[in-house]
Amino acid sequence: MHRSEGLAARGFLVFALGALVCGALFGVIGSWQHVIPGVVDAVPFVKSRPLHVSLVVAWIFMAAIGGIYHYLPQIAGVPLHAPRLVWVHLVLFMLTGLAVITSYFMGRFGGREYWEFPPVLGIPIVIGWLLLLYNFFATVRGRQGPWPAYLWMWATGLVFFLFTYLEAHLWLIQRTGDNAVRDLTVQWKAYGALTGSWNMLVYGTSMVVMERISGNARPARSRAAFLLYALGFTNLLFGWAHHIYPVPSATWLRMLAYGISMTEWIVLARIIHQWRATMDAAHSGPRSMSHRFLFASEVWVLLNLALALLISIPAINLFTHGTHITVAHAMGSTIGINTTILFASVCFIANGHATRTMRIGFALFNGALALFWLSLIGAGAVKGWYTVMTDLPFQTIMQQLRPFLIGFAVSGFGVFAGLMVLTGLALRRLNAREEKVVVSPERSKGSAEVRISPVSLDEGPM
Amino acid sequence: MNAPFRDAHVGFGAIHRRVIFFGLVALFVLQTGMTWTLSTDVDDPDAHFSTAAYRGRALYQAFNCTACHQLYGLGGYMGPDLTNVTSDPDKGRAFAKGLILHGTTRMPALGLTDTQADDIVAYLEAVAATGTYPVRSLDLTPWGTYTQMTHAQE
Ligand code: HEC
Ligand code: HEM
Repeated sequence: MHRSEGLAARGFLVFALGALVCGALFGVIGSWQHVIPGVVDAVPFVKSRPLHVSLVVAWIFMAAIGGIYHYLPQIAGVPLHAPRLVWVHLVLFMLTGLAVITSYFMGRFGGREYWEFPPVLGIPIVIGWLLLLYNFFATVRGRQGPWPAYLWMWATGLVFFLFTYLEAHLWLIQRTGDNAVRDLTVQWKAYGALTGSWNMLVYGTSMVVMERISGNARPARSRAAFLLYALGFTNLLFGWAHHIYPVPSATWLRMLAYGISMTEWIVLARIIHQWRATMDAAHSGPRSMSHRFLFASEVWVLLNLALALLISIPAINLFTHGTHITVAHAMGSTIGINTTILFASVCFIANGHATRTMRIGFALFNGALALFWLSLIGAGAVKGWYTVMTDLPFQTIMQQLRPFLIGFAVSGFGVFAGLMVLTGLALRRLNAREEKVVVSPERSKGSAEVRISPVSLDEGPM
Repeated sequence: MNAPFRDAHVGFGAIHRRVIFFGLVALFVLQTGMTWTLSTDVDDPDAHFSTAAYRGRALYQAFNCTACHQLYGLGGYMGPDLTNVTSDPDKGRAFAKGLILHGTTRMPALGLTDTQADDIVAYLEAVAATGTYPVRSLDLTPWGTYTQMTHAQE
């Protein structure tokens, strides 16, 4: 790999971590604004929420993109097709990010959920994405033989993100004869596939890291990997209407989504079936930070998938829709699964062996996240029950949730602190590049990736 | 260590994968076209966005009401769902407009003008004409669905 493009890929990771820190900070502010109305006047909730959501989504995308730019040349066995475009992409993303943050602080919105900034700022995002798409496909063209599952996942995630991003902006041109139901339906069709796309990018990354750690190329080419991919893809395409069961859109759309969503029980059953092996693998041999993160992500996949499946059953969704259980689902997955996998990748790229501080940060992060998740589920269950079963006014219902919202805000501090420790260490390791290939004997004890160091993978014909 | 990095040939070939892949994509294209055109059975003329409702929708976004409010349960969680606020017999148009203009101790006054508030109310009225949320009854079916999901409610 060229030094310069490697540097740009790391640039993505560094800025991704920066976005995570800032985003999580605004999350902490937002959570306390639920408990103490009006606290942190300088950034009221109408600003802290979009700052939080956009920044943490930026973390997921930038960390995934940085990983793709980093691993792609190794996977393709050829250098990136256009290394300079990586820099262009990075600079474009950073400038856009800055413009988005500025517009939020100035109270200039105009977009919709997740992209609440003025829609013109979407143009550089699309251009940057096109550069990535071009670089990706031009580079993998040089690769011989059928693609492993993770390349399919990445390609799918990359193409579909572009599509859904454009679809999420269709409202800009639809100016007559519409109604709220179609408007919401098209919007959430786009968002359903949007989260599906970033999951493709993240799960693809997880598979790559796993392959790199184990040195075993089989799993990513196995029949099971492709079946899981096909299932994920089908859900991305047709499962989105589980977000809008109560919206009176065409019935077939929502019934289709219900049926498709239930196919994920197969995935859940498979995870449970293999749990023994997962636990054994987790407890055997030397464990690097990447190992730990990947293992933690499997636990979170199990918990969040079970929750997602339950709330995809309309009769249960009736109680959970529009409550904090949806937030538990959103943050449980974006933090527990996506963030955890991306940390595994960042630690792998930064060659992060498990130091004591890192292990403490890891434990704090996961422990606090568990409380955070449970508090949100508790809050959502109470809100859902009172909303559906009683006619109590909104503020009265919110009073009943208060203990849970306090638990949420307090454990949010823990999640934030854990993230800070992990981010700080990851940034330090990312910056200490020269050390990366030095394999000292005591380090190799704690770190399995030394056995297949990134250097030898660089050279290997794939 | 490079040896294992060969593509394992497993029963399921690349050709099959491509057929399935493009088959799914074709179905998706079909579904997309149908969603954009046929996704709603709403036929109440009040539900169609008027020019004022379009302006109201843009203002709803410009002031980021969605940070705190939901429509059909979709949005932020600090404030109440607004789907039927204008059609609720205890609340209604004037109540909604008053809140939008002046806020409460919990909802900030966002500095909208009188005409802007009227436009947002027009938007909320168009939303209210599409249906009812939340569903407050327990008519569950053995299939895990509920009756109101498939039958428009009154
Ligand atoms: C910072 C969060 C926040 C923002 C932003 C916000 N609201 Fe509110 N809104 C609330 C809260 C909280 C309540 C409940 C007020 C109460 O009970 O005192 C509320 C109540 C309302 C109500 C009355 C609903 C009912 O059923 O009683 C309407 C209507 C309303 N808001 C409209 C809007 C509109 C339109 C906007 C955008 C211009 C907006 N709000 C922006 C927090 C917000
Ligand atoms: C550090 C601790 C964090 C706290 C305290 C926190 C707090 C919050 C709050 C208050 C909301 C708004 C909920 C509402 O509308 O009322 C929210 C939403 C959200 N957060 Fe966080 N957050 C944290 C970390 C993260 C991280 C790390 C991610 C992802 C990487 C994330 C992803 C999201 C998403 C996707 C939403 C939107 C949820 C929805 O609309 O359903 N959060 N968070």
